[in-house]
Amino acid sequence: MALAASACDYSNVTTVLIVDDHPSFRATARALLQAEGFDVIGEAENGVAALRSAKELHPDLVLLDVQLPDFDGFEVCARLTGNGGGPAVILTSSRDASDFGPLVAQSGARGFVPKAELSGAALIAVLG
Amino acid sequence: MTRIGWAVLAGGIALTTMGVALTFTSNHETRPAFTVAAFGSVAWSFLACGIVALRRRSDAHFGLLMSAVGLSWFLSSLTESNNPYVYSVGTLLWSIPLAFFIHALLAFPRGYLETKLVYGTVTATYALLGVGPLLFTFFGENSGCDTCPENKFVLMDSHVAGSIVGILFIVIGLAICGATIWVLARRWRAASPPLRRTLAPVFITSAIAIALFLLAAFIGAVSPRVSNILFWLLLVAVASVPLAFLSGLVRTRLARASVASLVLELGEAANPEATRDALRRTLGDPALELAYRLSDRDRWIDVSGEEIDVEAERDGRRASFVERDGEVVAVLLHDASLDPELVNAVSAAGALALARERSLQALRESESRYRALLDAIPDLMFRMSRDGTYLDWKGNRADLVVPPEELIGANARDVLPPAVAETLLEGIRAAIETGRTISGDYKLVIDDVERSFEARIVRDGEEAVLIVRDFTERERLHEQLERERDFIRTVVDAAPSFFCLVDKDGCIVRYNRTLELSSGRPDTDAVRGQKLWDVFIDPEDREAVRHEFAELVASDRPGEYESHWITADGDLLLVAWTVTPLTDEEGRQRFLVSGIDITDRKRHEEELHRSRIRIVEAGDTARRKLERNLHDGAQQRLVSLSLGLRLAQARLKEDPDEADRILSSSSEELAHALEELRELARGIHPAVLSERGLAAALETLAGKAPIRVDVRAPEDRLPEPVEAAAYYVVSEALANVAKYAEASAVEVSVTRMNGRAIVEVADDGVGGADPMRGSGLRGLADRVEALDGVLRVESAPGAGTRIRAEIPCG
Repeated sequence: MALAASACDYSNVTTVLIVDDHPSFRATARALLQAEGFDVIGEAENGVAALRSAKELHPDLVLLDVQLPDFDGFEVCARLTGNGGGPAVILTSSRDASDFGPLVAQSGARGFVPKAELSGAALIAVLG
Repeated sequence: MTRIGWAVLAGGIALTTMGVALTFTSNHETRPAFTVAAFGSVAWSFLACGIVALRRRSDAHFGLLMSAVGLSWFLSSLTESNNPYVYSVGTLLWSIPLAFFIHALLAFPRGYLETKLVYGTVTATYALLGVGPLLFTFFGENSGCDTCPENKFVLMDSHVAGSIVGILFIVIGLAICGATIWVLARRWRAASPPLRRTLAPVFITSAIAIALFLLAAFIGAVSPRVSNILFWLLLVAVASVPLAFLSGLVRTRLARASVASLVLELGEAANPEATRDALRRTLGDPALELAYRLSDRDRWIDVSGEEIDVEAERDGRRASFVERDGEVVAVLLHDASLDPELVNAVSAAGALALARERSLQALRESESRYRALLDAIPDLMFRMSRDGTYLDWKGNRADLVVPPEELIGANARDVLPPAVAETLLEGIRAAIETGRTISGDYKLVIDDVERSFEARIVRDGEEAVLIVRDFTERERLHEQLERERDFIRTVVDAAPSFFCLVDKDGCIVRYNRTLELSSGRPDTDAVRGQKLWDVFIDPEDREAVRHEFAELVASDRPGEYESHWITADGDLLLVAWTVTPLTDEEGRQRFLVSGIDITDRKRHEEELHRSRIRIVEAGDTARRKLERNLHDGAQQRLVSLSLGLRLAQARLKEDPDEADRILSSSSEELAHALEELRELARGIHPAVLSERGLAAALETLAGKAPIRVDVRAPEDRLPEPVEAAAYYVVSEALANVAKYAEASAVEVSVTRMNGRAIVEVADDGVGGADPMRGSGLRGLADRVEALDGVLRVESAPGAGTRIRAEIPCG
């Protein structure tokens, strides 16, 4: 991915904030990422909670569901990465990246990982 | 006698004196007395003829030529002189009279030369006879006179040269004679009979003279003695030419004498033909035509009443106009050669008779015009006496009650029904006594057909003229027209459209019954004359309608508008209307405003439109909901399942217990996913409905309901769309009952009646449901109406709710 080609080193990334309105996904994702060595430091179930948690917890990475009850994931992503100093954001969805067209590339996120393909390796691959 | 005439006479006397003196003193004249007598009589016959002709203007020129012949004749007497010079001049001039004679002959009778040939011939004659004797003389012409004085003009005595000149002289002379004969012959051929009568005496005597001249010329070469005799005969012939001319004048004089008898003849002429024939006889022109001038127009009619063209002169015919009291009354079309003075005399003598003839002719013409007019009138006409006797009739035989031979002489009482006859007789008496025109109608049965007549009676002296017109056909047409008008009026009144007749300004003339009923405004004088828009149009639309009407009237093309019309009660009707130009029964320009009340149609159209939009929206909403449900439900569960399985796989070796727990959880997740998918599928379309039918599907619905539901439905299948609609009606109704009705029991029934499926859902709940509240019932109504069905909701507060759908079964 173009954004993942950045020269930054993400080998130290360990803290993750998971944002999704489905509790079952959040639980499964936490177990999966922790099993692969990530430190899941928080969960949020909507856009407002996501912004608040990101401000409080300063995660290295936000795993952000596109479809949220209040804002959509692109809006939240724009606010998180808007002033340059925010966390790395990876968008996820049970839909495919192609369903969103150019929105992912324009969002300021590092990349997109479909929910069904979520794994630590997949996140590392996106972050480069 | 004219002044020239006097001069000629004087000249003649002077020259005669000179001639006589020269002849009697001549030393070379053997017979002076004879010569004087012969030459003198020839000269004087020309002079006399010339003097007489000079008196008549038309012959003056000819008279001058004749006088010239006579006067120049005396020049030959110069040869009688004893003086050689005078004698010599005489030998040169003796043939000059012959040149004048040829000239006069060729100019006869008009006095001038008409063609180039004639002109050439005359010129040649003058040249030959002027120069010829001189040449002759130059070469020592020998006159055969030994005692004559010496010719002073002889230059050389050459017999040969003299002969050559003589031969030339004869050749040219013959050519002139030939040309003269040719011209005269042609003129004779072209001449009309009256002209020939004028030409004949002169031509015959001239022909004899020329023949004698030629004969003398030829024989003179052989026998001078015979030639001498012929010369004397020639003199006689030449002298007879003027006499022949004089004889023509005498004939004219005689004709003028006959003008007096013409006046008598004209007085007795019975008709225009007789008048014309008398004129023909008097003028001696059998081709003469007579035409009268009609006083009122610039037209001419001949004696037979035919119109003819009159031109001043054409094809040798001349038009001489006959005037009376300064007015042209007739024209004589006669031969151009007729003596104009004679024609004038005849015109003057005939003017009175011709004027009278013309009046008669005009009368005849106007009579024939009136007769033609009368013949063109199709009406029957009778002349009747005061007592009602038929005297005469005119018209179509088929229109008579009895044949004409029985009619004339019969009395109206014997011919007509008593009532009609009495009315007619009264009318005749009234017309004769008052002089006024009496008119009336009556009916008669002719050949078993009743016919209607209109009669007009006018006085004609002590008689009456009855003019009868058959108007049976007109009456029949009138009745037919009335019936047709009634029929159209009924159609117009019964038609469901509005018809309003207006004038070009939009003022109401009248309108039909449908508009009366729909608008609640009777067509009375109070409304008539008002503007259409002020009476029928909603105030908000008035200005637009006024404008649209003016546009339609001006453009004269069809156009349709929709406007709100207003009733007397203030209800608004949406009306589609148009304007058609037409002409009313009295020929006035009118406009028919015809409109159709489309209020209901418009409402239905709008309802249909809204219903379509709702159906499409309902479909969109359902699809959106389905996608959302799939995404939020089964899909999420399957994603979790996928992640769970991967986690379990990762933990399987290191932590088998944890892997086992994850797999159990995943299994549950899978069961939930399957259940949700089944629910969704059911929501899309109940499988039991399509597979087992409406009754089974309703039982399934009843089974899932939280309260008791009794279902009565036929086992036989209905058309698929009807079953689907019925199922969703019951499904939505039961959902509503569960949500709002607080009911204890529900009855669901489906029956078939008159080709319709009746679906009813009745509960014993609180009632008070608003059928238009929420999209559920509205969507059901759309679904039912899409199948041409009706959905009704009865939900009085406290009396439960009853939903009833009637759906046609096709």
